[in-house]
Amino acid sequence: MARIELHNLRKTYGSVVAVKDINLTIEDGEFVVLVGPSGCGKTTTLRMIAGFEDPTAGEIRIDGRVVNDLEPRDRGLGMVFQSHALFPHKTVAQNIEFGLRMKKVPAPERQARVRAVAEMVRITHLLDKMPGQCSGGESQRVALARTLVTNPSTFLLDEPLSSLDAKLRRELRAECDRLHEELKRTFIYVTHDQEEAMTLADRIVVMRQGEIEQIGSPLDIYSRPASYFVADFFGSPSMNLVAGEVVHEDGGVRFRSKKLSVDLTARYAHVPPGKATLGIRPEHVGVGFDGTGANVLPARLIEPLGKDTLIYFDDGTERAFVAVTEGLGKAALKVGTPVSLAFDPRHIYLFGSDGRRIDPK
Amino acid sequence: MTKSRRRRISTVVRYAVLSVWAVIAFFPIYWMIATSFKIDTQWFAWPPVYIPNPPTLANYRNVWLGAEEYTSTQYAISSQTPLVSLKNSVIISFTATFLAVFFGAIIAYGASRYRLLSEARMFQLLMLRMIPPIVVVAPLSLYYSAIGLLDTLFGLILIYFITSLPYAVWMTKSFIDEVPREVEQAAEILGASRWRTVFEVVLPLIRSGLVATFLFILILTWSEYLLALILSKTNVTTLPIELSKYQGTTEGRVYGRQAALAVGITVPLMIIGLVIRKHLARGFSFGMVRR
Ligand SMILES: Nc1ncnc2c1ncn2[C@@H]1O[C@H](COP(=O)(O)OP(=O)(O)O)[C@@H](O)[C@H]1O
Ligand SMILES: [Mg+2]
Repeated sequence: MARIELHNLRKTYGSVVAVKDINLTIEDGEFVVLVGPSGCGKTTTLRMIAGFEDPTAGEIRIDGRVVNDLEPRDRGLGMVFQSHALFPHKTVAQNIEFGLRMKKVPAPERQARVRAVAEMVRITHLLDKMPGQCSGGESQRVALARTLVTNPSTFLLDEPLSSLDAKLRRELRAECDRLHEELKRTFIYVTHDQEEAMTLADRIVVMRQGEIEQIGSPLDIYSRPASYFVADFFGSPSMNLVAGEVVHEDGGVRFRSKKLSVDLTARYAHVPPGKATLGIRPEHVGVGFDGTGANVLPARLIEPLGKDTLIYFDDGTERAFVAVTEGLGKAALKVGTPVSLAFDPRHIYLFGSDGRRIDPK
Repeated sequence: MTKSRRRRISTVVRYAVLSVWAVIAFFPIYWMIATSFKIDTQWFAWPPVYIPNPPTLANYRNVWLGAEEYTSTQYAISSQTPLVSLKNSVIISFTATFLAVFFGAIIAYGASRYRLLSEARMFQLLMLRMIPPIVVVAPLSLYYSAIGLLDTLFGLILIYFITSLPYAVWMTKSFIDEVPREVEQAAEILGASRWRTVFEVVLPLIRSGLVATFLFILILTWSEYLLALILSKTNVTTLPIELSKYQGTTEGRVYGRQAALAVGITVPLMIIGLVIRKHLARGFSFGMVRR
């Protein structure tokens, strides 16, 4: 059992505020992913939970008990470090056995448990090797096994896969998922990779500059981003975000940018005129080839990806405007072909000048 | 000139220069060894005798075993006690070096992990060692005589310990800094206490560095002359002091035996160096290998 609560948790290093009064409750057995760009305070948060950093202010509770003054080893947590942090002078078996030895588990039982977790993460063939002889993926499995064997109530993982290549990352991501299913423990997983967050999390905590930007399920985060920042961070290819302004004309509400003009429908009638950003995911942009409609742009680049084809446009802003079409049907499209873009009102987002999402009524 | 030819010439030049340098550097060592095997008439012979002929062990016997062959001659030195000095040197330098490395490592650990010493403090520590010993040696000997440490084993151990400590802190800190904090923290969160972490994780990882530091400081204390000269009299002589006696004005210069003694002083360190050379290579290149 482990329910972890952070109350107004704050950490400053001199004048740098690494974590800014965050509040978060992580339920027992939940898989929570802390995600955000580098330097946003994820590691600091995790290390405060682990007990390696003293909070400047605020409280950490595990199952209702304040643990601020508890040593890391007394918190019943397990941690997997980004650098794996294996003991280089001990064999893999000795690495895994370490935690059990510290807890004075008798030798025969230790052997059995080391073997069991080694089988669980499929590293039995590595047991007699030294960490230096293991590949990146292998040492990550060893690091996992070393934590698993001590049976912690909560797993803290700090970018455990970031040092691995893409294929291995997917493989070990599945492994983490499976372990969570099997163990039914609390997982707090830190990453800067939005895809990892989306695939693993029960709940995603998006962090930005030491603060929590949004908390929600992957679906929530993807389909209801609270801000420009979140909308931009999640999804690949990322959401089209077009800077422009909201105007009221002819009794209607429109969004206008340099090259685009989108009818916002009456549901946005409450939005005052002024600067705003329009968002639409590439998969929701309608494309037509009859050359009609308010928004016709020439295709700038066609990128066939196999399952989909991406079409890039220049909408007059710094970032390319992207539309996704399924399959390879449009792969042969010529650069320069005029394309009519359609904006389904159900799939557009509007962000105010403060970056927050403005909901339709 | 073709490129390969130029490269060949540069190689030849390089080797020529290095060879000359090697000869210059090694000649005194060769001369010491050669002289130690020479009979007395060849010590000063002109033209110089490069290869002892016939080689003799008489110098070694006389110096180290106190053989009486020369007692009737002008070369006898009445108060020779090299074995006693050897014992003193071993006790003093090994004890002082061990203490310096032991406490140095503890201080360095604190400095590295708890930021006990700022950069400035660390530098001041080293500055302490930049004071030439000759400057402090006179007041120090007054202190020593006042508190009864003059001419005692403990007195020399203490002063060697103090003067080596800054080196020990600096060197061991650089090795401790190389041990990733996360490795220590991994041990901690797996349930290891501070001490367990230090003994099971940190110490094994810096062992080579400690050995290298130990040898470095041992060499300094083993061959230290000035402090030993002033702070000891007749009771506690060390090998470097013993060696200097053979330069006495009354007895003349007994080169052969001085050389035999010098070889005896040098060889133990070389043997130790050879025995632990695996650690030395790892210890001194630790920083380069890891990152
Ligand atoms: N030990 C430290 N000393 C000073 N600043 C730190 C320290 N650790 C982290 N920071 C600062 O705190 C902020 C958050 O860092 P971190 O938690 O490591 O971010 P993340 O893991 O999200 O990349 C950064 O601006 C970083 O520079
Ligand atoms: Mg980090």
